[in-house]
Amino acid sequence: MIRHSNKRNAVRMSKTVRRISAAAAGLSAVALLAGCAKNAPQDTWQPKGPNAQKIDDLQKPVFAIAGIVGIIVFAAIGYALFKFKDRGQPIPEQTHGKPVLEIGMTILPAVILAGIGIFTFQTIFDLAKTDDTEMVINVTGQQWWWEYDYPVQEQYGITDPIITSGQLVIPSGTKVLLRETSRDVIHSYWIPALNGKRDAVPGRVHTLRLEADEPGIYAGQCTEFCGLSHAVMRMETVALSKDDFAAWVKGQLSLAASPTEGSLAQEGESVFLNQCVRCHQVNGLKKADGSPAIAAPEDNVWSGAAPNLTHLMSRNTFAGASWNLLTKQCRKDVWEASSEEFGKRYLAGVTEECLNQTDLRRWLRNAPAMKPMYADPTKLEETGGKYRGMPNLGLSEDDIDKLVAYLATLK
Amino acid sequence: MAIIERPVPVGVPDIPAPATPTRTFGALRRPVATTGWKSWVFTVDHKKLGIMYGAVAMFFFIVGGIEAVLIRLQLAAPNGKVLSADVYNQMFTMHATTMVFLFVMPMAAAFANYFVPLQIGARDVAFPRINAFGFWTLVGGGIIVNLSWFFGGAADGGWFMYAPNSGPVFSPSNGVDFWALGLQITGIASLTGAVNLIVTVLNMRAPGMSLMKMPVFTWLQLVVQFLLLFAIPVITVALFLLSFQRSFGATFFDVSAGADPLLWQHLFWIFGHPEVYILVLPSFGIISEVLPVFSKKPLFGYPFVVFSGAAIGFVGWGVWAHHMFASGLGPVSVAVFSIATMAIAVPTGVKIVNWTMTIWGGKLNFTAAMHFAIGLVVLFTIGGLSGVTHAVAPSDTQQTDTYYIVAHFHYVLFGGAIFGLFAGFYYWWPKMFGKQLNERLGKANFWLMVIGMNMTFGPMHMIGLQGQPRRMYVWTEARAGEGFFNLAFWNRVASIGSLVLSIGVLLFLINVVKTARSKQVAPLDPWDARTLEWMTTSPPKEHNFDAIPTVHHLDEFFHRKYAQDPVTHEIKQVATAEDIMRDQEANADKHIHMPSPSYWPIILAGGLPVIALGVIYAIPVAIVGAAIVVLAMYGWSLEPSTAPDTDFDPPASGDGTKELAPLG
Repeated sequence: MIRHSNKRNAVRMSKTVRRISAAAAGLSAVALLAGCAKNAPQDTWQPKGPNAQKIDDLQKPVFAIAGIVGIIVFAAIGYALFKFKDRGQPIPEQTHGKPVLEIGMTILPAVILAGIGIFTFQTIFDLAKTDDTEMVINVTGQQWWWEYDYPVQEQYGITDPIITSGQLVIPSGTKVLLRETSRDVIHSYWIPALNGKRDAVPGRVHTLRLEADEPGIYAGQCTEFCGLSHAVMRMETVALSKDDFAAWVKGQLSLAASPTEGSLAQEGESVFLNQCVRCHQVNGLKKADGSPAIAAPEDNVWSGAAPNLTHLMSRNTFAGASWNLLTKQCRKDVWEASSEEFGKRYLAGVTEECLNQTDLRRWLRNAPAMKPMYADPTKLEETGGKYRGMPNLGLSEDDIDKLVAYLATLK
Repeated sequence: MAIIERPVPVGVPDIPAPATPTRTFGALRRPVATTGWKSWVFTVDHKKLGIMYGAVAMFFFIVGGIEAVLIRLQLAAPNGKVLSADVYNQMFTMHATTMVFLFVMPMAAAFANYFVPLQIGARDVAFPRINAFGFWTLVGGGIIVNLSWFFGGAADGGWFMYAPNSGPVFSPSNGVDFWALGLQITGIASLTGAVNLIVTVLNMRAPGMSLMKMPVFTWLQLVVQFLLLFAIPVITVALFLLSFQRSFGATFFDVSAGADPLLWQHLFWIFGHPEVYILVLPSFGIISEVLPVFSKKPLFGYPFVVFSGAAIGFVGWGVWAHHMFASGLGPVSVAVFSIATMAIAVPTGVKIVNWTMTIWGGKLNFTAAMHFAIGLVVLFTIGGLSGVTHAVAPSDTQQTDTYYIVAHFHYVLFGGAIFGLFAGFYYWWPKMFGKQLNERLGKANFWLMVIGMNMTFGPMHMIGLQGQPRRMYVWTEARAGEGFFNLAFWNRVASIGSLVLSIGVLLFLINVVKTARSKQVAPLDPWDARTLEWMTTSPPKEHNFDAIPTVHHLDEFFHRKYAQDPVTHEIKQVATAEDIMRDQEANADKHIHMPSPSYWPIILAGGLPVIALGVIYAIPVAIVGAAIVVLAMYGWSLEPSTAPDTDFDPPASGDGTKELAPLG
């Protein structure tokens, strides 16, 4: 008796389930998409380059399959809960299972997963290809910023190595290979619109392909927990058209010019020479005696590096890409520029009127207050007298004015 | 060892007590209290230890929960100011450590301790004193791990404690030392517990209970104990390397000395992945008991559940590198581990099918325990399906270390492990305490927890897929996107959800207090249960069963109560639980010898935290701790497992062997 009615129920059930699950699948897809933020800069579902696109092509169907399976399971459970509620029916037969059903339900998911597995396999090896690389950039992580080092590549006009930080600038439509490593702990380089993440591990070199379809800025964030200020270790990748990229390279290869005699900026230069040059290099900067000023971060900070500031104002951000050098409106103009306009706006750099003085001054006043660092003088013992980030330099407001004036000349 | 009772074959009465020396060789006489705190602190009774495991785990659940709420308060708005970066990093490290090592594992151990012997018809575990030692070791380890809060800050490297960030330079406070040594100590607790339960299950089952007639909970606990037995040594090695690096200048993970920091990741995840199954399989076991009872049907496909559990136990060792898809392993390793991870989804899926088919065609009674069990099936399915999306390695490189992963494993561990434990509370409370938890409060507790849990962790799917990484003490509006449903909105929802969840948990605590105060005694068999633990009084007598039952069926108790009419195939009740109990008492075993309490387990366990403190602060202190350990081992090994009454402090009057048999 029980068995019969069960069978009938099962037949009726399957139709209902199909209808309900189709409706629910549609509804939940709509709900999910409607529930998403618009234009989240790190959205993993908005690929802007072929590598991220490959991942997206693979994962979208997997999400769909998982969703459908989920809805079928929930429909079955929901139906059973409603249908088999104790309404005084007799105690059911004490069956211990149906091996055919069991084996079927083991094979079915195995087959689905095997199908997913084949495509996964293919994509893994596709993404690992490096033999068609067109450009190489060395990327080094340290607490809590990234350094980009462009080795000499004549075909792009890079006749001398370029060292920069904060924003990684690449030519669009070019297969770039990042060679990642780290100077201290493990970090992870991640620009969701362009590719998945890859850890930068000290003592190892890992590769990651990046390619952007269009010029633009693509946001990212360090995604391997790397200590105190992990949350404020961000990065941006800037894609420029090939011509704009050549212009950018040319700018980066130039040396910093001395500020005009008697200007506030020139006073700032001497503050820089007294304080900042211990860690920060400015290519072309000369000491009072005319000899080149060479930074010695290896003597002063644990990771042995500090951002090269020669072309600070060519980037839009500072301090691990966590604060903007551009004011809000100016930054918006760059970010929201069309891909044709973008290169021109970006290459304009940070002009006097666009400079975000507030954050830059706050930083110079007391860097560790903005971005926690082990820059506490009482904690120097563990690190052999070296700071783990930029300490509070105790600059006077006067010095800060001068420094800001000088930094603004580093175009 | 301390085993002195074995299943007594029916009809062979009066087995003589093992000969015991007439006096103790140790420095201490035996504890004898049967009431008051001494009866708990020196007990070797698996049931008392089970309750104490549960109480300690519950305490740490509250601690870990407070840590979680603080994390969510910090993240409720951009640039949160509730916690500093330093304290936030300590908070999420300790939240995970506490929940994994000090709540879910001990709570699962609580149920294992209490119910495995009862389910297999045994009178205690194989090694009762080691059982007590394991419990006190856990307490010592938990104290050491948390003591760091008061001595310069807790561990701040994340529960995964990746090298080289865990090294002395990058984590200069003593937090990581407390963490490593504390977990080392709780590891000893897990190892001794594992050996104890494996021996118990393999050797001490009631006559007739073949392995395939064993209750599923016991089966899955057995699998878990084997996982512990092999996983804990791996983390032990890793923690030793870490401690030696930090305390004695070793260079196992020092890159400048030529080390490869990925070594730590491999060691950690070879332990860490089986650990996931260690956390979740006990709860699978619990609901595999609860669903059949409240469906009035046997578990659908019992052998499939058992074998898929064992399969998870094996395949679980071959998937650890899926935690490392972004760490640069190379495409071949990534592909292999990606496929292996998909493979493990199959036995997990089998379980979902079996649970669904168990309720299918049943006679469902929606008690609070049943609510939690069904909650587990649904929530774990969500977690399992999101798991499949990152078994696909390329898509995992977009998802790993984002909130999507946080969402995934909270559906697996909160929706899976913790909901199972709550099902266990409501189901077994009358057995453990003789009183039923309030069902109405229980259901309110369930709904608040379900709503709170989905509000907290559901939005994290979206937050993560839209690019918010984990372990960030602040998030910024600049990356939160636009529109009403931006990441700021969902972060706020998640934070509110954590408060709803807390109220749900609070309701459980209120229920416990209310129940403890109530005078209403639970019936003997309140749920019409199916397994042996219900074939005794509630709470069970110290010796568990007056007569060790002989087992003929899976679900023995049910089959004693019900029989199928051969003609009409109708299932009819043929006996009540009370009838069966009377029968048991009438046929009670004559001599039941229970293991005697002992001072040594707690003394031995007490030496370990002293060693840990010594390693951190002053080596001579460690030597004192080691001396305590050695002396306690000496005293312990000279102490006979059962004692004559004269051995007790104060000696009891009367003669000969201590017998706990108020029979008849």
